[in-house]
Amino acid sequence: MLQQVNVNIDGAIIRATRGTSVLDAAVEYGICIPHLCHVPYLSDIGACRLCVVEHVVNGRSNVTASCTLNVEEGMVIRTNTDRIRKLRRNLAELLVAQAPNSRAIQDIAVRCGVRQVRYSFRNDDCVLCGRCVQMCTEVWKARAIGFVGRGKERHVDYPFSVRPDFCKQCGSCVQLCPMTIPPCDGPMKPGEEYLCLKCESQLMLADETPDHCVWCKLGEGFACGRYVQ
Amino acid sequence: MPRLNSFRELEHLRESLRGQRHVITTTVMVCGGTGCQASQSRAVIDAVKDELSTQGLSQSVRLCITGCHGFCEQGPVMIIEPGNIFYCHVSPGDAFEIVSQTVVRGEVIERLLYTDPVSGEKIQTESEIPFYHSQDRQVLSQNLMVDPCSIEDYIAVGGYSALTKALYNNMAPEDIIGEIKSSGLRGRGGGGFPTGRKWSECREAPGDEKYVICNADEGDPGAYMDRCVLEGNPHLVLEGMMIGAWAIGAGKGYVYVRNEYPLAVEHSRLAVEQARELGLLGDNILGSPFSFDVDIARGGGAFVCGESTALMASIEGKVGEPRAKDVHTVVDGLYHKPTTLNNVETWANVPSIILNGSSWFAAKGSEGSKGTKILALTGRIKNTGLVEVAMGTPISTVIFDIGGGAIDGNKIKAVQTGGPSGGCLPLDKFDLPVDFDVLYEAGSMVGSGGMVVMDESSCMVDVAKYFLTFLQDESCGKCLPCRVGIDRMLEVITDITEGRGRPEQIDLLEELAETVSQTALCGLGKTAPNPVLSTLRYFRSEYEAHISEKKCPAGVCKALITYWIDPDKCPGCGVCIQGCAHQAITGGKQQVHVIDNQLCQKCGICRSECKFDAIQII
Repeated sequence: MLQQVNVNIDGAIIRATRGTSVLDAAVEYGICIPHLCHVPYLSDIGACRLCVVEHVVNGRSNVTASCTLNVEEGMVIRTNTDRIRKLRRNLAELLVAQAPNSRAIQDIAVRCGVRQVRYSFRNDDCVLCGRCVQMCTEVWKARAIGFVGRGKERHVDYPFSVRPDFCKQCGSCVQLCPMTIPPCDGPMKPGEEYLCLKCESQLMLADETPDHCVWCKLGEGFACGRYVQ
Repeated sequence: MPRLNSFRELEHLRESLRGQRHVITTTVMVCGGTGCQASQSRAVIDAVKDELSTQGLSQSVRLCITGCHGFCEQGPVMIIEPGNIFYCHVSPGDAFEIVSQTVVRGEVIERLLYTDPVSGEKIQTESEIPFYHSQDRQVLSQNLMVDPCSIEDYIAVGGYSALTKALYNNMAPEDIIGEIKSSGLRGRGGGGFPTGRKWSECREAPGDEKYVICNADEGDPGAYMDRCVLEGNPHLVLEGMMIGAWAIGAGKGYVYVRNEYPLAVEHSRLAVEQARELGLLGDNILGSPFSFDVDIARGGGAFVCGESTALMASIEGKVGEPRAKDVHTVVDGLYHKPTTLNNVETWANVPSIILNGSSWFAAKGSEGSKGTKILALTGRIKNTGLVEVAMGTPISTVIFDIGGGAIDGNKIKAVQTGGPSGGCLPLDKFDLPVDFDVLYEAGSMVGSGGMVVMDESSCMVDVAKYFLTFLQDESCGKCLPCRVGIDRMLEVITDITEGRGRPEQIDLLEELAETVSQTALCGLGKTAPNPVLSTLRYFRSEYEAHISEKKCPAGVCKALITYWIDPDKCPGCGVCIQGCAHQAITGGKQQVHVIDNQLCQKCGICRSECKFDAIQII
C-alpha cells in the first residue's frame, strides 16, 4: 500500500506519497519551483540545480535540489525565501548567459527574476540538461545518445559520434529539448545583455505571485511537471 | 607459506619470524618510496646489495627497502641501525664507503650526513633532525622499518595483532564501533565525518550484503600522504579494512587506487595476494566465522572520482560522475548496497586504536579532532616532505619548527591548506591549530592535508586562478553551477589578472562563489569556490590593487607588470642581453641597458640572470 506522509512546504501541510520527490509534491499542489532538467516520468539526475529549496533540519536550513530529495514525514521545506530567490536568480543568470537563444531558457530566467545579465553571452546550442539522454535511456531503453567528455568538453553525442542502428530517429529527444523553442525577438544579442521583460506579462507577473503556479507559458512550452500531470 | 588456521598459528609465525630476525644485528634501511626512486634510490639499493654480497655480508646484514620516510627532498635517504645513522642524498658510488665504514665498523661518514639549513650543523641521527623530532609519528612510524612487499616484516613488528584482538578477545562488532566512536576518529580524506558514526549507520542499514571501500584516489596538487601510506605499509590499511568489515558486517572490500600511482597499485596488489595466501583474507579468516576479501580497483585519473558516489560509480564500471546524496552511501552505496567508504589514512588509524584502546588515541589532539594527521608540506620553505603531527598543533609549529621557515630570506605570506577545496590563510592566522572545525571556521579546511606555503613572491589572485583552472579541468560537468559557475569565475578572475577588472566584479565574484558553493551537486563543486572566497576574505587588498591601480603587488600577473633596469645598479655587463630571447634589451658594453617594453615578453629570464639585482618589476 502506498504510504502517505505529511510535508510542510512553505507553511502548507501537503499529503504526498512516500517515494515522490519534494519537487513533484510541490508542483502537484501548485507551488511553483522553477526547474529545467526534471521531467515527471523520468528519473532525476539533478543537473540544472534550479529547483533548489531550503530543507530545515533541526533548525538549520540546508540548500538542496528538490528533485532528488524524497518526501519524508514531518519534513519542513521553504521554496521562496530571500536566500533561495537569490540563488535561483544567480543560477538562471548563468544559464541564460550560456544559451540566450531559447525561449524556454529566457522564460526561466524571467521567472527567476533575472533583469540584467552580468556575463557575456555565449549562444551555446546545448545547456546539458540531460532530458534527451534520460528519455532515450529510460523510455526507449535505446542508449543511442549519451554524455561524452568531461567539464567544458561535455556534450551530448552518439557513441563514437556515429549514429547507431538502434537509434530509430524517433525524435523524442528533440521533443524534450528546451533549445528547440525559438527565442522571442527581444534584444538578446551579444552586447545587449538584458531581458526585454515583455515575456513577463505572459508569465503573469512572476513577482506578484512568486510561489504559485500560474499556468505560465513556460510550462506549456516544454513540459513543466504541472502540465504533464 | 602455509595457510594460517587459527590465532595461535599466527602468533607462532610471529615468534619464529622474530627469532630469525634476532640474529641479524645490522639493518640498512633504504627508502624505496616514489620520491626517493625519482632520485635514483633503485640504483643505490642495487649498489648496496652488490657491495654487501662482495664483502660477504648478505647473511648477517639485512637490507630493507622501505616505504617513504617523509623527507623526500633529501632523497635518496638511508637509515642504518644500530645507531640510527641518517644519510641523505646518497649516490650509488657511496655504497662501498657505506658498507665498509658504517656497516662493518660503525664509523659515520661526515659527508653524507644531513646539514640543518637553520643552524648549518651536521646531524648524525634521524631522531635528532628537527624535521623528525618535532613530529609525532604514529601511522608513518612503521614506514621506516617495514618492507612493504613483505608480509613477514609486517607480522614481525606486530602486524595483524589488532585483527586477532578484534576477532578473538570478545570484541563484538558493536564493541569495535563503540571503541572507534569513543576514540573520536574523524575521516582523514577531507570531510572530517566521525568514522564511528559512519560505521554504526552502515551496520544498522538493512541488507545482508555490505561493502567497505578504501579511497586512495588522492588527487590534490602537492598532496601525497595516502600514496605514501599505501606504498609504504599496505598491510596496515588492509588490517584496518578487515577490522572495519568485521564491525560493519561486510564481506567484500575494494581499494580504489589511482592508476597514476603504479607503486601503490603494485604494493597493494601484492599485499592482498600475500594476505590471501596466509588465509588473512578469504573464507573463515584465522579459523573464525569471519569471511572477507579485497579487490583492487584502479582509477582512470579523474579528480572527481575521489568523491564517494563518483568513486562507487567508477567501481561499478560506469562513468565516474557523482549523484545526489540525499540518501547516504552508508545506506545506498556501491551496487545500491550499504557501503562504508573511508580514506587510506583513516583505515590506517584503525588498527592502533583497537590495539591501544580509544583513550590512547583520544589523548592526542584537540577538543573536536583527535589523533594525528599526516600533512604534505610543500612550497617556499626549507624542509619539505611528509609530516605527521598531533591534531591541534598550531600551523606555525608545522611551518617554522618542522618546515624550517622561508627560503632565501623571504617573508612567508600565506599557507594554502586542504588542496583545491581548501583556502589560503594569512600569516596572522598561523597560530590556528590543525583542527577540522577551527580551520573550517577560518574559511579553509584540513582537507586531505596538503599544505602549500607561499611567500611574498606569490600573487594571491594568481593562486586563486590556478586552483580555479585546475577545478575547471576536473569538474565532471554534470551540474550547472560547477560547470558554468567555475568557468565564469575563472573568466572574471582572468579579467582581473589581465587588467580588465572592474570594481563591481569583486562583488560579482563573491556572489557567484556563494551560489556555486551552496547549489552544486557534489563536494567538488561545493568546495570549489573556497580558494576564491578565502583569498577575497584575507587578501582583498590584492584584488583591489589589481583592479583600481592595475598593479600586481607580487609582480606575478604579466599583464600588469613591466620590467625596468635600474640605471644606478646596472654595470652594463651584457648578460641580460645574451639571455633575452626576444632581443628586447639594448645597450653597449659598460653602458646602462634599456628594455624595450614593446618587445619584452615578460619571461623574467633577464631578472634571474642579473647578478646585480638591477632589473626590477614595477
